[in-house]
Amino acid sequence: MKDSISKTKLFYVTQFFSSEVNSTEIRVGKIFGKNLTHNLKTRICPSFLSTFPKPQLDVPQDVPSVSDESKYKLSNPDAFDVKSMVRIKNLFEAGVHFGHTEGTLDDRMKQYLYGNRLGHLIIDLNHTKRLLQQALNVTAHISYRGGVILFLCQSPLNCLTVENCAKECGEFAHTRYWRDGMFTNSSRIFKSETRLPDLCIVLNTLSSTSKNNSGQHSVLSDAAKMLIPTIAIVDTDANPNIVTYPVPGNDDTPSAINLYCDLFKNVILKAKKVRKEILDKN
Amino acid sequence: MMALHRLFNNLAISKLNTSKILSNFVPRCTYGLNNVGSDDPDIEIIEKKIVEEKTSLAMRAYLQRATQYNNFMEQQTHEYNVGKRHLANMMGVDPETFTQTDIDVAIDYLFPSGLYDPKARPLMKPPSEVFPPKKDAEFDESGRPFHVFFYTGKPNFYLILHNIATKLSELNKFEDSLRKNNILPDPDKKLTSLGSQWLSKEDLEKLTVEKLSDHEYKNFVVAIERLLKHPCSYKSGEFISDYQKPMISTKAIIESAPVEYTKDGRAFVTVKDCPRKDARADVTVYYPGTGKLSINGKGIEFFDDIQAREQILFPLLFTDLVDKVDIHATVRGGGVSGKAGAIRFGISWSLRSFVDPETVERMRIAGLLQKDYRRRERKKPGQARARRKFTWKKR
Repeated sequence: MKDSISKTKLFYVTQFFSSEVNSTEIRVGKIFGKNLTHNLKTRICPSFLSTFPKPQLDVPQDVPSVSDESKYKLSNPDAFDVKSMVRIKNLFEAGVHFGHTEGTLDDRMKQYLYGNRLGHLIIDLNHTKRLLQQALNVTAHISYRGGVILFLCQSPLNCLTVENCAKECGEFAHTRYWRDGMFTNSSRIFKSETRLPDLCIVLNTLSSTSKNNSGQHSVLSDAAKMLIPTIAIVDTDANPNIVTYPVPGNDDTPSAINLYCDLFKNVILKAKKVRKEILDKN
Repeated sequence: MMALHRLFNNLAISKLNTSKILSNFVPRCTYGLNNVGSDDPDIEIIEKKIVEEKTSLAMRAYLQRATQYNNFMEQQTHEYNVGKRHLANMMGVDPETFTQTDIDVAIDYLFPSGLYDPKARPLMKPPSEVFPPKKDAEFDESGRPFHVFFYTGKPNFYLILHNIATKLSELNKFEDSLRKNNILPDPDKKLTSLGSQWLSKEDLEKLTVEKLSDHEYKNFVVAIERLLKHPCSYKSGEFISDYQKPMISTKAIIESAPVEYTKDGRAFVTVKDCPRKDARADVTVYYPGTGKLSINGKGIEFFDDIQAREQILFPLLFTDLVDKVDIHATVRGGGVSGKAGAIRFGISWSLRSFVDPETVERMRIAGLLQKDYRRRERKKPGQARARRKFTWKKR
C-alpha cells in the first residue's frame, strides 16, 4: 500500500514538472522574440499562476437511465461513480494542498501531511482524494435514501458560495451564528418536534467567531451527541478525531471551497435524480 | 482498503455499544446511516427498498397538535355561542340579532369595572380573536423542511441577508464589466438615503414573522447600507426601497397644498388654523403679486415689535419672494409672538406650492415647515413662576 502511494505521488510530481518545464520554455522563447511588448501586456499574469477557480472537468452530468435498484446497493463499492469525480489535478489547481503555518499544526493531522514548504504545511492530496471519495459516496447514499443534508460554514468570505450550493441542490444551509442547542434542544428552539438533518457537511471547522471549544464549530460536538454523521474539511490546525468523515484540505481559499461545493452539489443532484427515477418506476 | 475495513469494524462495535446503553432509545430514522458504502465484499449489509416516506415523527407530532388545536377551538366557539344566547336573554333582546357591539355594551353594563387598563377589564370576544392562530407546518410528510435556511431558526431573516449579499455580488460584477470598458459608474445616479429611513426593528420583525435580537438588526442595517453605498446601487434601487420607508414629516411636506385660482387668473393657496401657542391664523398667499401684506385689515404695522415683523418676513426673504406674492391673513387668539409665529407658519406652508422641490427641502432643513408644538409651561405652587423660585435665605 505504501509503495503504491509513493509511486503515484512520484508519477504526479514528475508529470507536473515535465509539463511545467515545457510550457515555461516556450513562454520564455516568446517573450524574447519579436512581440515583446505585446507579450508583456497580455501575459502579465500567466494562466498557470492564476488562482481563479477552474470549473470542474469531466463531471458526468447525465446518469445512464439504468433504473435498476440493485445497482445502487450499499454493497456496491462505487454505485454513483464518485471515484471519477475527484482528480488530484483539480484538487491541486484549486489549492486544496495548502495548509497553515508550521506552528499551528494539530498533532492529530500529522498522518495527512505531505511535508513542509517555506514554513507552511502541505497536505497530502492522495489522502484527500481517498477520503473525499469516501465522503462523496456517503453523501450520495444518504441523499439517495431521502436524507436531509445540512451545509455549514462560518467563514464570512465563503458564506454565499455555500448557501448558493445548498439552494441549488435543494438541501439546507446554516452559515450564521450557531445558537446553542440547535440540535440538542431542537423541540424547544423550533417550538415543535423537528426532523434533524441526517448528515452535516462542515466546510470549515475552525472560526474566529465561535469562542467556545477553542474556536471549533459547535455543530461537531452537537451532531456527535445526536448521532448525526458529519463530513468536515479539516485544515492542518483542526481536530479530525471528532469528525465522522474527515477530509484533509484547505478550508479558507474560495477556489477550494468552490471545488468542494461543486463536488457535493453534483453528487447530491445525481443521487436525487436516480432516486426520482426509481420512485417513478415503482 | 485497510483503513476502511478498520473504520467499519469500529462502526460495528460502536453500534453494538450504543444499542446496549440506549436500550430505550427510539431511532430517529429507520434507514441505515451506520453502514454506507463499502469496498469490502465480506461485509454483509441488509438492503432495504427505497420508498417515499409518508409519515415522519415530526409530521405525526404536527398533525396531533393541529387536531388538538382544532378541537380546542371548536369547544371554545361552542361556549362563546352559548354564552352569547344567554347574555341576549339576560338583556331581553332577540339572540339571533345580537351582535358583537351589543355584547360589549352588555358586558360593560353587567360587569362595571374601575380598572384603568382596558385589557384588564372583563371581555367576551370570539375565540379566533383571543387565541392567536398557530403556525402552519413548515415541512412535508417526510419531515423535510421547505425553507433552505430552516435550520438557522430564523429562515426569513437570513433569506433577506442572503438576498442582500447576492445583490452585492451582482453589482460588483456589473461594476467590473463597466470598468473593463473604461466606463465609470454614473455618480449622478447614485442613491442616497436622504428623506428616508430603514425599516425599524419592529417592522422587520413583522415582515419576517420572527423575533430578532438587536445584534441581528444591526447586522441587517450594516449589510443594506453597504449595498446602498455601492457606486452602482441604482441597479437594485427597487430592492433597496423595499426596506426603506419615508420619514413621516417629509411625506407630508412633499405633498404640497392644492392651488386654486381667482377670477382674474391669479393662483392662491389658503391654509386654515395655523397654530402657534394659543394663536390661530388663516393665511392666503396670492401668486403672482406685488408684495402687499394685510393682517386683520392692517399692514405690517399690525405688529409694533421688530421681532414679530422679522418673523413674518423671514419665509419670504428665505425664498426670495418678498415682492412677488400678496398675503392676506386673519389671526385670532394668543399674544404678539404667538400671532406672528402662526402667520409665519401659514406663509411658509402655502409657499410650498410656488417654489421648486429643492427650495422646499431647504425650507424643511431651516425648520420653516415644522409646526411648533411648544405650549406655555404651567406655574407651580411654591414657586414664583414655572421655574423661578421665591427668594429664600437660610438665615
